[in-house]
Amino acid sequence: MKELIKYIAQALVDAPDKVEVAEVLGEQTSVLELRVAKEDLGKVIGKQGRTAKAIRTILTAASAKLHKRAVLEIIE
Amino acid sequence: MSTITLEIEDKSIDDAIEKACRDFGVPREKLNIEIISESTGGFLGMLSKKAKIKASLMSLDMDFNLTDDPQPKNATRIKIEPLIIQEASRAVAPAPIVAPAPVATTVPISGSKIEASSTLAPQAKELLAGILTRMSFECQVSVSETPEKIILNIDGEESGLLIGRRGQNLDALQYILNKAINKSDNDRKMISVDSETYRERREESLLELAQRTREKVISTQKPISLAHMNAHDRRIIHLALQDDESLTTKSRGEGEYRKIIVLPARKSKSNTKAKSRQ
Repeated sequence: MKELIKYIAQALVDAPDKVEVAEVLGEQTSVLELRVAKEDLGKVIGKQGRTAKAIRTILTAASAKLHKRAVLEIIE
Repeated sequence: MSTITLEIEDKSIDDAIEKACRDFGVPREKLNIEIISESTGGFLGMLSKKAKIKASLMSLDMDFNLTDDPQPKNATRIKIEPLIIQEASRAVAPAPIVAPAPVATTVPISGSKIEASSTLAPQAKELLAGILTRMSFECQVSVSETPEKIILNIDGEESGLLIGRRGQNLDALQYILNKAINKSDNDRKMISVDSETYRERREESLLELAQRTREKVISTQKPISLAHMNAHDRRIIHLALQDDESLTTKSRGEGEYRKIIVLPARKSKSNTKAKSRQ
């Protein structure tokens, strides 16, 4: 799951080496914290949060397949 | 960034815009034009009012003024600065054929049109395959290309799960792919992600919906609003019903909740009035 978010984020940003994802595992839900370079924040969020929403949709689909739940947080 | 604004008056808006282009010495696309008042014909040249516009040099900033979310605004602002300079210098020296290549990966511009189309498609395919593997979906991606777009087709056991409710997962993948692949300004191409001919089936069911709505509106003569849908789906409905004289279609609402309303056309008497008002 962590790899998935990292891969997508790296494809979107200008500074792929500054992409970091931390996974906080919970009992049912795990939280994925995405950090990118300050300049790239807009790229992963998108206009009206559209890109962030698309990433979350993909994440939900991927975790549903494993019968799990995951949330994405984009950290400033 | 220069924020010179000129107010220009002329016989018509077109004339005024043309004048603005001459004054700034840049093409129309580089100008930010705000119409203050339209010209009115008057009577035999009397009582006529001139058209008035406000013109300023286009800066990339203005796109971001529209977003109300402050976060991406700030973040993108910083990024955009070098771009503006590029934009401005391009505006002064009109139409340099070779645009400054921002990244080292781009091939020599001269032949880029043909070469680009052959590099984007495999790139897109690889990216999609990479995402799907990491989503732990086992499937095959095949790619085909038309002059307008790149079509990626996903074949696999679990395509139902992959398509998602109303194709939301496919749409999300498609959106991300478009963002990631069309990052550079030089060679852009629309990417369409499909699985099990979902797009085709969706279009068919939308056309059916359009037909059913058409019949209902005509028989009841009352407007019907459809469920909210995305721009692509709305377009299909608009196009399906645009030739029918007995009804009109409109979109209402904002962003995600924008939906189509199908209205019966006005009776022929008021028809001309309605047209002139538009």
